[in-house]
Amino acid sequence: MNIFIDCTARNGKIASMKKTSTIILRDKKYDVKAGSTIRAALLKLEILPESVICIRDGELLTEDNMLKEGETIKLVSVISGG
Amino acid sequence: MKCKKCGGKAVINMPQHNMGLCKDDFLQWLPEQMQKHIKKQKMFTPEEKILVAVSGGKDSLALWDMLNILGYQADGLYIALGIDEGISYSSESQRLTEKFANARGLNLHVVNMTADYGIDLPTLAKETRRGRDKPCSSCGLVKRHEMNRIARDFGYDVLATGHNLDDEAATLFSNTLQWNGDYLIRQHPVLAERDGLARKVKPLFRFYEKEMAAYTLLRGIEYIYDECPFAEGSTSTQYKELLNQLEHEHPGTKIHFFTKFLSAKKKGLFAEPTTKIVPELHICPKCGQPTSAHEICTFCRMMDRVNQ
Repeated sequence: MNIFIDCTARNGKIASMKKTSTIILRDKKYDVKAGSTIRAALLKLEILPESVICIRDGELLTEDNMLKEGETIKLVSVISGG
Repeated sequence: MKCKKCGGKAVINMPQHNMGLCKDDFLQWLPEQMQKHIKKQKMFTPEEKILVAVSGGKDSLALWDMLNILGYQADGLYIALGIDEGISYSSESQRLTEKFANARGLNLHVVNMTADYGIDLPTLAKETRRGRDKPCSSCGLVKRHEMNRIARDFGYDVLATGHNLDDEAATLFSNTLQWNGDYLIRQHPVLAERDGLARKVKPLFRFYEKEMAAYTLLRGIEYIYDECPFAEGSTSTQYKELLNQLEHEHPGTKIHFFTKFLSAKKKGLFAEPTTKIVPELHICPKCGQPTSAHEICTFCRMMDRVNQ
């Protein structure tokens, strides 16, 4: 038996089924694909892992952690100038 | 990633050391490493009085915290420059510095440019036309003058600043690009006391900026996250970004660049100059501080100009 899931939104566009996580750096928010490592997501966003620390729920974590669906990772830039 | 020491969950990865550490081991490792290099470089002893230049940023607060943990006699110095630029930069960094000192019962000296000299830094820079659009050169001059004055007036043996490895590597990169020989000869984590200039040390010279940010977070130290508004787009920031790109491809690049420079200097790679590079110092007749200028020092000349 075939089961069809209706993904059509009211405006006629196909609703996105992508699973995402959110990365926040300063006042910018990025939606990234869940299921990859933080490191892979950072590189996709062209953010060097060397220039930030990553925080989830107030806890520091290494970039090899996997991004889980719906979670938010806060980045803190470590470069100070002057 | 697992902690190299206990096998628990690592919170920081340090590829340059091929090591990840958990929170407890990292918070033990960092001050231990600092202590090791304070001794190795003969920066100071537990009997000496240290003045820590504190800006309210992550590095200087972390430095002060670790010195305190290690049992050193370290007081703080905050210089209120009067930088506002719409984000109350100076007042916020002063608030955080005072909060840090009060919470730990530490002694903090505060120099206030407006109260003590009648002018804030941005106005001073504009009126004396030092630097182009930014007050950074006046800022450096004011800080050097005031740090040495407080160290001397209150009898401190040594002045400690929170320069980390990224700061040192970026400075070395800049000096190398310009083949700035006299700066290359002087760049070192320990500058000996001479002619009225206090000994200057940089105990964080082996730590990456990322490690310092991690330390402040793990220790729950609140610091000013905003950058100095005048530092935005600075050359040193650009150099740090370039070095981080190299570090990303080749972990350890930054630490090798700086520590191998220090080793090369020690082995005599840089020959002693035939002409004297370090200028002779004498006492400024106005403020009593050492200066290489022929009459009054640059700081007093700048203050005279605005007071005319």
